[in-house]
Amino acid sequence: MKKVAFKTLGCRLNQYETDAIASHFQNNGFKLVPFDKEADVYVINSCTVTHQSDHKSRNFINQANRKNPDSVLVVTGCMANNAKTELEGRDEINYVVENDQKSSVYSLVEAHYNGEIFHPSKMNSDLFAYGSTDKGFHTRSMVKIQDGCDNFCTFCIIPSVRGRAVSRPIQDILNNVKSVVANGAKEVVLTGVNIGRYEYEHYRFDDIVEQILDLNGDFRLRISSIEPDGFGDKFLGLLNHPKMTPHLHLCLQSGSDSILLQMRRMYNIKRFKEIVNKVRSIRPDFNITTDIIIGFPNESDQDFESTCNIIKELQFGHVHAFKYSIRKGTRAERMTAQVDERIKTLRSETLRKVAEDVKLQYRNQFIGKEQIVLVEKTDGENAKGYGEHYLPVEFKGYELKKNHFYKVKITDINKDIDPVLIGEQVK
Amino acid sequence: MRSHKVIEIRNLTLSTYIIKMEKKDFTFKTGQYITLGFSGSIDRREYSIYSSEQDNFLEVLIKEVEDGLVSKKLKRCKPGDYLDVDGPFGHFSLKEDEISKKKFLFIATGTGISPIHSFIATHPNMDYQLLHGVRMKEEAYERESYQNNNYILCTSREKSGDFHGRVTEYLKENPVPSDTVCYLCGNCHMIYEAYDILEKQGINLGPIHTEVYF
Repeated sequence: MKKVAFKTLGCRLNQYETDAIASHFQNNGFKLVPFDKEADVYVINSCTVTHQSDHKSRNFINQANRKNPDSVLVVTGCMANNAKTELEGRDEINYVVENDQKSSVYSLVEAHYNGEIFHPSKMNSDLFAYGSTDKGFHTRSMVKIQDGCDNFCTFCIIPSVRGRAVSRPIQDILNNVKSVVANGAKEVVLTGVNIGRYEYEHYRFDDIVEQILDLNGDFRLRISSIEPDGFGDKFLGLLNHPKMTPHLHLCLQSGSDSILLQMRRMYNIKRFKEIVNKVRSIRPDFNITTDIIIGFPNESDQDFESTCNIIKELQFGHVHAFKYSIRKGTRAERMTAQVDERIKTLRSETLRKVAEDVKLQYRNQFIGKEQIVLVEKTDGENAKGYGEHYLPVEFKGYELKKNHFYKVKITDINKDIDPVLIGEQVK
Repeated sequence: MRSHKVIEIRNLTLSTYIIKMEKKDFTFKTGQYITLGFSGSIDRREYSIYSSEQDNFLEVLIKEVEDGLVSKKLKRCKPGDYLDVDGPFGHFSLKEDEISKKKFLFIATGTGISPIHSFIATHPNMDYQLLHGVRMKEEAYERESYQNNNYILCTSREKSGDFHGRVTEYLKENPVPSDTVCYLCGNCHMIYEAYDILEKQGINLGPIHTEVYF
C-alpha cells in the first residue's frame, strides 16, 4: 500500500482542501502517514501570507525531500501561485499545482503512477470540485462556500494568489451540508477566503447561513473567519439560533483608525465595536477571536497602543497576531514608512502578553458553567474536544466516544499559553 | 487581463493627465477602479475610473508621482499604444435605491475626485454638492464637468478657489444636514479628519463611504 503524507500551512480553507485531498487519496488505497515519516507521496499545501509562511513552506519541501528523495513531491497552495517559477525550478519538486487546479492533486499523482505525466495547468480548474472530507484531519466537517477576494487590502497578497471572489451555488452547498451531516458530521464549519461576501444569484451570506440552520439533523454550525464589513443585521439575528455556535473570528487587523484606512479596510473602530457590542448583547460570553497585524507601515507607538487597548476592551478570546511583512505587488509594498523589524519584534512581545492575559480572563468566566463538547480524542474515560464557544476542553467521563457531543461542567482551567478548560461529564 | 488601445492623453496640469482608452466590452460599476500597466509589464498601478458607466470609452485620471515608476511611464504613452487593464475592483459604489432619493455630499482631495466624476457623469441628475480640496486653482480638474453651484473648490495654498483652506475647515464652518449621504475620497489624513467632523455633526456612521488615495 502506498503511503501519502500532508503538510498544511495557513488558513482554514487550506485545511479544508487538504482534508478533501487526503480523503481522495485514502479512498483510493493510499495509507495516510505523519509528515515526518517516510512516504511515497508528499503534498505540501502552502501559504504565502507572510515571509514566515514562505520560509516554513521551503523548510517542509526540504524535509520531505530528505525523508524520501524518490517520493512524488507536490507543492500546492498560495505559494505555488506566488513563487511558481522558483518552485518549478527545483528538481526535487515533481508538481507545482496552483490553487485553481488543487482539487486535481490526486488525479495528477494517479496519472504519474500510471506513467502519464500531465502538466498541472491542464487539470480540472473547478474551485468547488473537492470531494468529501470524511477521512481528513478534522472531526469538524468544513464546507467551502466561496473562494477568492475582491477587497484588495493594501497589505494582502491573497487576491493575487486566490483570484477574484467566486461563490459556490447555494444548492451545492446545501447538498454538501446534508451529505456530511448524513455521514455523521456533528459540526459544520463554513470556509472560504471572504465568506461574508458570498453572493450567488440573489443569495447573500446571511441567506446561506439561514438555510443551513434550517436543515434537519443533529449538528451545529460554526462560522470561521469573517470580515467585519460583509454582513448585516439579518446575520446578527441568526446568532440566536440553537444550531449556531457562539464564536466568530472577526478580523480586526489594527486598533487604529488611521492604520485601518491605510490598510484599506472597510470599517473603522467605532463600527467594529458596534458589531462586537451587538453580538455580545445577544450572548455576553460570545467568543470573538481576531487577527492583528503588527508593524504595518506608518504604525506609530500610539497606533500600537490603541491596538493593545482595544484587545483589552473587547476581551478577545484569542488574538492571532503576526508581524507585517512586505508582499510583492501589494500597495503597501510601495509605502515608504516601513517599521523597523526590531520594533515589530518588541511590539509582538508586548501584544502577546496583553492577548494572553485577556484570553485567560475570558476563559476563566467559564469555570462553573457548562459546555457542549464535541470530542476529538478519547480513550473512553478521558477526552479532548472543543465546546460550542470553540474553547479547548479536557474532561473525564464514561464510555466516551469520538465525534459525539457531551455536556461538560467546567471545574478548572489549565493556565498554559493556550489555557484549556478542565471539566467533568454531566450525566 | 485585457489589452486596451490608447485613444488620447489629455494633460490637465504639468503633472496630471487623463488617459482615454477604448472600452471594448469592459463593464464596471461607477466608483470602481482598475489596475493599469503597459502590455506585458509586471509594473501595474490602481486607478479609479473617471469616465461614466455609459461612456463608450474608458478614462482614468492620473497624477504623476515624483520618483514614481508607472505614472511617469504612462504619461509618455501615445495614442495607439496598448495598456493592460485588469478589474474592475472595489466596493466604493452608490446604492441604487439612494441615487434619486438622497442628497449627497462628495468630498475629494486631488485626483480623489476621479470616482466622484464618474458618479456624477453616470447619474447627472443626482442631488449633490462636491467639495474638492486642492492646493491651487489649476488643480480643479475639468471643473466645467460639474454644475457650478454644486462644486466648491477649496484651495489651501492660494486664495483663488471658492474657499481658502482645506475641505475639513470648510466642513467645520458649514455643517452638513444629518440626512446627507457622504462619500469621501482622497488622502488618509483628510478622510480621518473629515470623518470625525461629520460624525460630530450628527451624520450617522452608515452613510459615510470612504476610498483612500495614497
